[in-house]
Order: sequence, then C-alpha cells, then structure tokens
Amino acid sequence: MRRTVSHAIVILLLARPMLLRAQEIKLPPDVEKLSVKAKETVEVNMDGPMLRWASKFLSAEDPDEQKAAKLITNLKGLYVRSFEFDNPGAYTSAEVDQLRAQFSSPLWSRVVGVRSQREGDNVDVFFKLEDERMAGIVIIAAEAKELTVVNIVGPIDVDELADLGGEFGIPRLNPKTLPKSTMKSIAKAEKGNPK
Amino acid sequence: MKSLPAVAFVLVLCASTPASAGDHEFRGVVRSIESAYRVHHAHIPLLGVALFFARPAGVGGLKLAIFEGFKTPTDVVDVSRVIEGSLGSDWHPFVRVRSKGATNGETTLIYASPAGGRMRMMIVCLEPSEATVVELNLDDRAIKKWMKEPGEEAANQSGRRRRGD
Repeated sequence: MRRTVSHAIVILLLARPMLLRAQEIKLPPDVEKLSVKAKETVEVNMDGPMLRWASKFLSAEDPDEQKAAKLITNLKGLYVRSFEFDNPGAYTSAEVDQLRAQFSSPLWSRVVGVRSQREGDNVDVFFKLEDERMAGIVIIAAEAKELTVVNIVGPIDVDELADLGGEFGIPRLNPKTLPKSTMKSIAKAEKGNPK
Repeated sequence: MKSLPAVAFVLVLCASTPASAGDHEFRGVVRSIESAYRVHHAHIPLLGVALFFARPAGVGGLKLAIFEGFKTPTDVVDVSRVIEGSLGSDWHPFVRVRSKGATNGETTLIYASPAGGRMRMMIVCLEPSEATVVELNLDDRAIKKWMKEPGEEAANQSGRRRRGD
C-alpha cells in the first residue's frame, strides 16, 4: 500500500509540470482542425524569452517599433495561426463561432466585434482579466479566404494593441476595425480598476 | 603561385560544408532523422561551393542535408519529436508552415536559437518523397525581416525551395 502511494506521488510530481502547461491555453483547441481544409497553415510561436530577445531588433529610431518593443518586454508569449484557403466559403461561420465560443468564460470579455457585410471581413478581439489586470488578448480575424488567430499572453494595454500590428506576423489592426471610442472606453474601464 | 586558387577553393569549402566541426546540433538532427526513419542523407559533390554562392543576403553558415526517398509520416508531429529530441534547450519551435498541393503537401518546421545579436535557424522541410535539413545564421537585417513577418519569410523559404531558386 505504502509503495502504491509513493508511486502515485512520484507520478503526480512528474505529471505536475505537464498539467500546469496544459492549463495555459496557447490557442483554442479547435483551431487546429481548420488546417485540414486550408491550402496553407502558418504557425508562429514566440515565448517570453524569445520576445524579449526579439525586442532588441526593433528600431529605436522608429517610434512605432519603439512602442512595440516596450509592449512585448513583459509578454509571456505570442502565438499566431494563419490559415489560407483556396476558395471563399472553405470554412463556415459556425466554425468561427466555435472558436469564439471558447472565449465565453467569465475570464474572457469581447472588446470588439466588427462585421463587414460588404467585404466579408470580421474581427473579434477578446481580452482576459486576472486579478483585475489584463492577462492576455485573443484576436480572431476572419476574411473570405483567410483566417488568423492571434493569442497574446501577458499584460498588455488594450489601447496599445494596434502598435503590435505588423510585427511578429500579427495582422495590421486597422483603426476602423478597432474603433478608438471602444478602445478608449475599455482603457478607461481598466484604469478604473485598481491594479 | 598556382596554389593560391587551390587554397581559396579549400577555404570556400570549409566556409560552408554540410557538416563542419562545431555543428553538433545540425549533425544531431541529421543523425536522428537517419536513425528514426532509416534513411541516409545524399552526398552532393561540391555542395559547399554551391551553398557559398547560393546563400541569400544576410545569411551565413549554411549547412544542408538532403534525404532522398524520405517518406513523410502522416503525422508530422512524429518528425517534430525526433528533431526536438536532438536539439538542445536553447532551440525554440518558431514557425511551422503546412501547405497542401494538388498532388502533394509540404511541411516546413523552423527552430530558432537566439543568442546575443545573432540567430541560428534549423529548417526542416518535409515533402512527400524528400526531406531537407538546413542550418543557417542570420545577421541583424535578416533577423529584423524574420521578426516582422515570420510566417511570410517561412512561406517564402518553402516557396523558394518549391520553385528551385
């Protein structure tokens, strides 16, 4: 009996790091299913140390890159999945809804949801609060033949999110798709919460 | 005096050979693939010379191994495990590109080892009947390009291979 208990403890101790890793969701599990339909799937993974190292290569003379460098210093990770499809309609809106549904827990809130009827482009931005602090942002950008999911893990000011657009494979976030008024109101709400 | 071109030739060969003395990680990956999938990398005469002249801007220390007749497993996760098992902890999975062709598919796995002002990359390209392992060093400018659009750079890399540039 004692041996069984000690074996169980050893197994639990060995499994603990794996369990901890499993709790930290890098990207929604369903996102990988889309690669079966995609013509091309691109995955970019950058963990905290690599981001900090990469920040040194952002130009100190370019104000935008300087902002991005400052922003990524405290991040724990940045994960991008981009799917390119042969034809419009290769993936269904139900599949995107499934992805969005994974951010419906109380930890997550949807900040922006932009639907473009004419161009068929949809952008959703979800943010995660932990102990009343921003702990991460997920962007789902759906276009007719392309779908991009970005997960930014770590503290990030939501009103500075656009500064990361165009770096590390993150799509450029058009101010039209991230309405200033919405971003400002979120930023204000955040400042209202004591950090 | 005749020996000068010969010395230059040897220097060029030494500058970029498929496996030089300090590249244990590259050799480790090549050996792991060889033992896991029972294949051997092809010997290509004058590969070092070709690599020296064919290297893209901002790239140095090119090493290349080609496995002809390599049958890519259905699940490329197997291959990632083999590669990650042979690379040290200072190597990070960085980019993965999977593309589907009309008759075939291709997967490119890219691992990065950043240190100081340089970055080493291990690029493993898997095609239905061939695999390629490339190690390279990137300079400042090339790193900036990769950091800006890692996915695009990786896709270009595999596209370039497909086009045979």
